Amino acid sequence: MNGFLIYAAKRFLQFLFVVFTGITLAFLIAHFSPVDPIEQTVSLLTSFGSTDPQAVEILRESLRELYGTGGPLLEQYFTFWGRVLTGDFGPSLSSFPTPVMTVIGRALPWTVGLLTLATIISWIIGNFLGALAGYFRSGKLLKVAGIVIMALQPIPTYIIGLSLVILFGFIWPILPISDGAQVNLAPAFSWAFIRSVIEHGILPALTLVLVGIGGWFISMRSLVSNIVTDDHVVYAELGGVRSRSIFSQYVARNAMLPQVTGLALSLGNVFGGAVIVEFVFNYPGIGKLLISGIYSGDYSLVLGVTTIAIIAVAAAVFVIDIIYPLIDPRVKLG
Amino acid sequence: MKFRKYAAIALLSLMALPAFAQDFIAGIPRNETLIIQGTPQQNADWFNVWAPGGGAAANLNGLQQLTTDTLWFINPEGGKDAWQNALASEPPSYNADFTEMTVKLRKGIFWSDGVEFTSDDVVYTVQTQIDHPGMAWSAPFTVNVASIENPDPQTVVFHLKKPNSRFHTLFTVRWNAAWIMPKHVFEKAADPLSFNNNPPVSLGPYQLQSYDKGGNWTIWKLRDDWQRTSIGLAAAQPPEVKYVVYRAAGNPEARVIEQRNHNLDVINDMAPEGMFSIMRDSKSTASWLKGFPFAHPDPTLPSVLFNTKKAPFDNKDVRWALALLIDIREVALGSYRGAANIAALATPPTGSAPDDYYAPMQDWLTNFELDTGSRKIKPYDPNISTQIANMVRSQWADQIPTDPAKLQRTFGFGWWKKDVQAATELLQKAGFKKSGRQWVKPDGTPFTIRLQVEGDAIPTLARAGTVIAQQWTQAGIATKVDVAGPTNGQRLGTGDFETAIYWSIETWGGHPDLSFFLDSYHSEFIKPVGQIQPPRNLQRWQDPRLDQIIERNRSIAFDSPDVAKLGQDFLKLAVEEMPMIPLMAYNKFAPLDTTYWTNYPSADNPYSASGPNWSNIRYMVVGLKANPDAPKP
Repeated sequence: MNGFLIYAAKRFLQFLFVVFTGITLAFLIAHFSPVDPIEQTVSLLTSFGSTDPQAVEILRESLRELYGTGGPLLEQYFTFWGRVLTGDFGPSLSSFPTPVMTVIGRALPWTVGLLTLATIISWIIGNFLGALAGYFRSGKLLKVAGIVIMALQPIPTYIIGLSLVILFGFIWPILPISDGAQVNLAPAFSWAFIRSVIEHGILPALTLVLVGIGGWFISMRSLVSNIVTDDHVVYAELGGVRSRSIFSQYVARNAMLPQVTGLALSLGNVFGGAVIVEFVFNYPGIGKLLISGIYSGDYSLVLGVTTIAIIAVAAAVFVIDIIYPLIDPRVKLG
Repeated sequence: MKFRKYAAIALLSLMALPAFAQDFIAGIPRNETLIIQGTPQQNADWFNVWAPGGGAAANLNGLQQLTTDTLWFINPEGGKDAWQNALASEPPSYNADFTEMTVKLRKGIFWSDGVEFTSDDVVYTVQTQIDHPGMAWSAPFTVNVASIENPDPQTVVFHLKKPNSRFHTLFTVRWNAAWIMPKHVFEKAADPLSFNNNPPVSLGPYQLQSYDKGGNWTIWKLRDDWQRTSIGLAAAQPPEVKYVVYRAAGNPEARVIEQRNHNLDVINDMAPEGMFSIMRDSKSTASWLKGFPFAHPDPTLPSVLFNTKKAPFDNKDVRWALALLIDIREVALGSYRGAANIAALATPPTGSAPDDYYAPMQDWLTNFELDTGSRKIKPYDPNISTQIANMVRSQWADQIPTDPAKLQRTFGFGWWKKDVQAATELLQKAGFKKSGRQWVKPDGTPFTIRLQVEGDAIPTLARAGTVIAQQWTQAGIATKVDVAGPTNGQRLGTGDFETAIYWSIETWGGHPDLSFFLDSYHSEFIKPVGQIQPPRNLQRWQDPRLDQIIERNRSIAFDSPDVAKLGQDFLKLAVEEMPMIPLMAYNKFAPLDTTYWTNYPSADNPYSASGPNWSNIRYMVVGLKANPDAPKP
């Protein structure tokens, strides 16, 4: 047990180091962005109107004071860490004075719901088909499935999304192609709202599934292909164990461990959003928010989103590291 | 067998879905609803248009289009009827030296919560913004207003710090202006800067019905007492649109599909190809121009901007040489597929400008002489727009007007002839030499150019930049297109560019006065490169003759007949100096679906602007007629 505690402590320090480095890098990248939030707001407030240049100068100064974006970088860095530790990223600069956490809080449930579901579905289908394709290598249907999946794999997400929009929004218009739910339907635990969310989530989720399935399929198929030649599998075959039992008990089960790790990492990534899919389907999630933050120079918002994503991924890795020795006897401690 | 059974069930389930897809607004009759393209509202709970936070200027959820109001409007397409009194009952009245402006307000206008609108609201608006730096119109009020008084509920008198014959333009909407605040609401807020004004009381005919906290839609409902608004007092008929939905509908492809599915009545900012495809295939689409190019020309002027503070663009011979190396016909085809309204003058050929400037200045343009150093040439070709029209006639035969006057309104007037020999002479006059195929600057280094474009956000201008870069490169000046993306505005502002395709000229459209952009062209506002230039004159053009024109324009009344004459003086100077090469009006492609609504404004019936983001669109919303053939709910 002592060995495990030392191992866990080491991994925890690693987790803290990764989070610290990641957040510091995100802070520096965001602050060295050439987009200035003050100028974005000035541009918004003065565009399309006849504006006195003297007045523009005064406005610029007022906003700088209001937003509190001045001060040396080091001072801002320490202030930022103070905010991270208290879970408060201050006001969003492009949605001033609404707090960053409020803005993120609105978008996060949409993304987490969509990505979690899509990730799990693509994981299940990809692994299931990949395991079958690796084990029953001569199956014709599985070969066709493999070809289709391999053909989909290199197509950019944007193209798949757009194709689905054209197919199900225009040629055969049966599904909504925009928004998270029906217009003028307030969120509630009602069947009408839940049904609407499902309808609006089908195409974005399908895009993510089609994009994600290939990776799981390929890795599972190669894992299974390797395992079927292992001694214990050959021995089981020679011993007359039924094919279905060998597949489920000897092969698939052994191949699952790295795939479970991959799933955990993917679920950690959920908090970073699905930028392209959310953009294509105008889905009100965190990915679309992030892009909007980058374009408007809203580094408070960008840092809020990236910090949450960094912590989520690092935490997923940490949890996997902690669980591994408990579930996989091949991992030795000490 | 089981698989086939499940597959059949899945397919049947999918086929049952069209019923869901068609019914996409809950609880509101579609045939009473106008659906307009909006933008996602990141700060969806925020309805304070007077404070930063997503509420001002570019706000596209209907707030400033349907509920705010101010003293006057100018319809950019309105011609003689462009001026519209809104909360004011008559145009502004100035004293002799323009240090005092008196406004008479309309009686009988009420906020949507039943409180009467009076001069107290106007005074409160100005004073509150002066007292709160950072509010949208705080700075211009601080700069201009010495004091304000309201002797009675329908009169406001502004005492100005210095003479300003254009002070009223702060309250005059073309797109946006200082909206009047509801005193009775804001005076109860602890801090007007952090007050979200939710729900907003309305001074327009519509009021907030509901909104999406995710920011994808906002719904406005016609007020029961809509007559008690500035639009209502002037209306002959009750508005037929009962609900207005501002809806963010995603990327341009999705917008087109949503309109084809009749889920978006008004869309905007299409690529020319998308617009042409809709006009060709859809029977239920209206557009500003009935025939090709179907576009709405905005009163803005995309141009090649020169950074006149950077050599060699500080030399007018170089600027003119670069203008003469452009074949505008290729630019029109490459950027707008021929659907460009070309402009040789430094004012967009839209609204009243063809009558005020383009037609009267054709003789001057035709006779304009340019000294190349070797000879004098007349570079203007009055027939270029006809040539462009003829180039697209084969594809759009029945859509291209044959009447020369109509053709000029659609494709513009003339432009500069491409003249490589004259450009060569001008470059040689400026001390440039040719080394093989490449031009070399007087200091012996190759003449290369960075041509900045914004990129995907404005694809037509990015394409124009690419064509021009190719033309300059072919002429021996290696030109690289520099895509600035979201940094475009800042780089233009700080002068971090050599040349750029952008606009530094916007006009009222419906009025000859050029002060809308010209006032900030005065040399007193020019900043050194590296510091931020005010939003206009990004080319940092400086000329004592220009200052004289601006100062004279400031000293005369907005409606003085001298305004157009001074405008012509400016345009002549801009031709001679060529600080930017005007290219064309900013044609916007905005198809309008007629399945549910008709009587959209058009070039033949220009009673309002039709762009979703223009505040003028309120006049369109109340002017629409329900289509009797619309599908019944």
